[in-house]
Amino acid sequence: MRLRDEVRDAVRAAGPAGGAAAPAASSARDGGRTGVGGTTSDLTIDETLLLHSAGWEPVDLVYGVSWWSIPWGVWQWSTGEVQEATAAFAGAVDQAAKLLRQECEKAGGSGVLGVEIGIRVSSHHVAIELSGTAVRRTQGTRPTFEFISDLSARDFVLLTRAGWWPLGLAAGASFVVAPRRTARQWAAQQGQNTELPNLTEALYLARERAMERMQRSGAAMKAEGIVAVKLREGRASSGVRVMQFVAIGTGVHLRTGEHRSIAPTMVVALDELVRQFDVKSLRSASTQ
Amino acid sequence: MTNAPSGDDKVPQAGQTVVPAGGPLPEGLPPDANRRLAELEDRPGHKGMFTSDLSVNEFLLIKEVGFHPLGFVMGSSIYHIGIQTRRWSQSQELSKLTGAMYEARQLAMDRMDAEATELGADGVVGVRLDVNYYEWGSDTAEFIAVGTAVKSEDGRSYRNRQGKPFTSDLSGQDFWVLMQTGHVPLGLVMGTCVYHIAHRGVGQTLRSAGRNVELPNFTQALYEARELAMTRMQDEANELGASGIVGVRLEEKTHMWGDHTIEFLSLGTAVVKSDGDHTIPQPQTIISLDG
Repeated sequence: MRLRDEVRDAVRAAGPAGGAAAPAASSARDGGRTGVGGTTSDLTIDETLLLHSAGWEPVDLVYGVSWWSIPWGVWQWSTGEVQEATAAFAGAVDQAAKLLRQECEKAGGSGVLGVEIGIRVSSHHVAIELSGTAVRRTQGTRPTFEFISDLSARDFVLLTRAGWWPLGLAAGASFVVAPRRTARQWAAQQGQNTELPNLTEALYLARERAMERMQRSGAAMKAEGIVAVKLREGRASSGVRVMQFVAIGTGVHLRTGEHRSIAPTMVVALDELVRQFDVKSLRSASTQ
Repeated sequence: MTNAPSGDDKVPQAGQTVVPAGGPLPEGLPPDANRRLAELEDRPGHKGMFTSDLSVNEFLLIKEVGFHPLGFVMGSSIYHIGIQTRRWSQSQELSKLTGAMYEARQLAMDRMDAEATELGADGVVGVRLDVNYYEWGSDTAEFIAVGTAVKSEDGRSYRNRQGKPFTSDLSGQDFWVLMQTGHVPLGLVMGTCVYHIAHRGVGQTLRSAGRNVELPNFTQALYEARELAMTRMQDEANELGASGIVGVRLEEKTHMWGDHTIEFLSLGTAVVKSDGDHTIPQPQTIISLDG
């Protein structure tokens, strides 16, 4: 936070000497805050239009970044779940979301949409980077902070039309060291078609725990549900046998008390791309 | 496991796929799974919530046809895939491997079913089946099934004739369209076949060199493998009393076996026409203006 303000001040100070482009850019960046000039957002024209139709407008691009350290040696000496890494992840997510919220409030927004979530886990730290577009109501009183969501502006408009509102990002992670098979198990399983119960159970539990933590973080914000959950999993870069499971979604609740039908109609789009037979493809195949 | 193949001539049959939930993991679902699912449910003094990997579109469309999402459910199985000798010059099904690939997926799906049943679901939509390979496990693969458990809001039961929640790999959009046409899903059906395709002999290679000819042994082998996979899928659908299978996909993968051994997997959603007359709404035609 402080860093970004310092950078901005530095750019502004360097303005007159640094050429015409810098002051122009910085005053445009400032526009959302002071109410003069334009806004900055990474929304497309369509999305901006859609937001306006729902009574919202973009204000500024906002960021929240947090790095948490992981004590040395936990990856090498842990068996089962790596608690330290899990705790660092939770801390980093909370902190990054807090910073994102601060930036949003400072920019005069009441919510952040289209949040992109960058997760980096290395041997010594967990880094969470959140970036999104702060939005506010076009009419109304002073903005109060309402939500952070990784939903797109399109999804947001659709969701609110049905009476549901986003509350915040619900996230949970777990890091687990895949257990080894004993020599006897290994020998007995060679050439066999068989399930490996200890591995299955370890990964199953790790996945369940990531989802459970996500649920709890949703419950903490009094969400009635979590939509668009993404389960990211794979090998952590901190070790060959370390697997990471991350579940992230947007917590939502019914604000109107009742779900409203969106009454979809069935359409046939006439401009679908037609796959045509390409004679050239034959020729290139035969000459190879 | 009742469907474990015991010999070379035993390949999984549709009737054998009904496995009591749980599999070789002791006492059904792991305790963490039960705890997580319990947190989702409404109890006196505890407000439940739903989780779902459906997009907002899909979520709203599921609500539109009268279902409410209950929770994100999953099942997985890490499986050691054995070896089976194959003869260089013979096209044949490798029934042991077929059985392994089938059983591993079935284990994952059964556990997903068990989680959905635990939540009291009528069905699971948006099911995805994946296979992961890890560096630390040679010859092992993780089979995983994930989906969103849903329950009908009008109290009508949509469970299939085996008393289990229906499963379907249709997206929320497809599910909505399916319901508009008066069909209900019964279950995700699959058939698989691991097949070894014979290498060509020297004589055959020489005879066809420089000529345009069909290679009957290759054609025959691929044809047969696909037919076997699709037939097994259809058998499963018949078992469920389906009137059809929609959204069928045929996947071909060599996994870890090299060029000449291929797994053919066919997957689809078995459906049946629901009672009552349905008029399919006339779709509106649109031309969108984006480039």
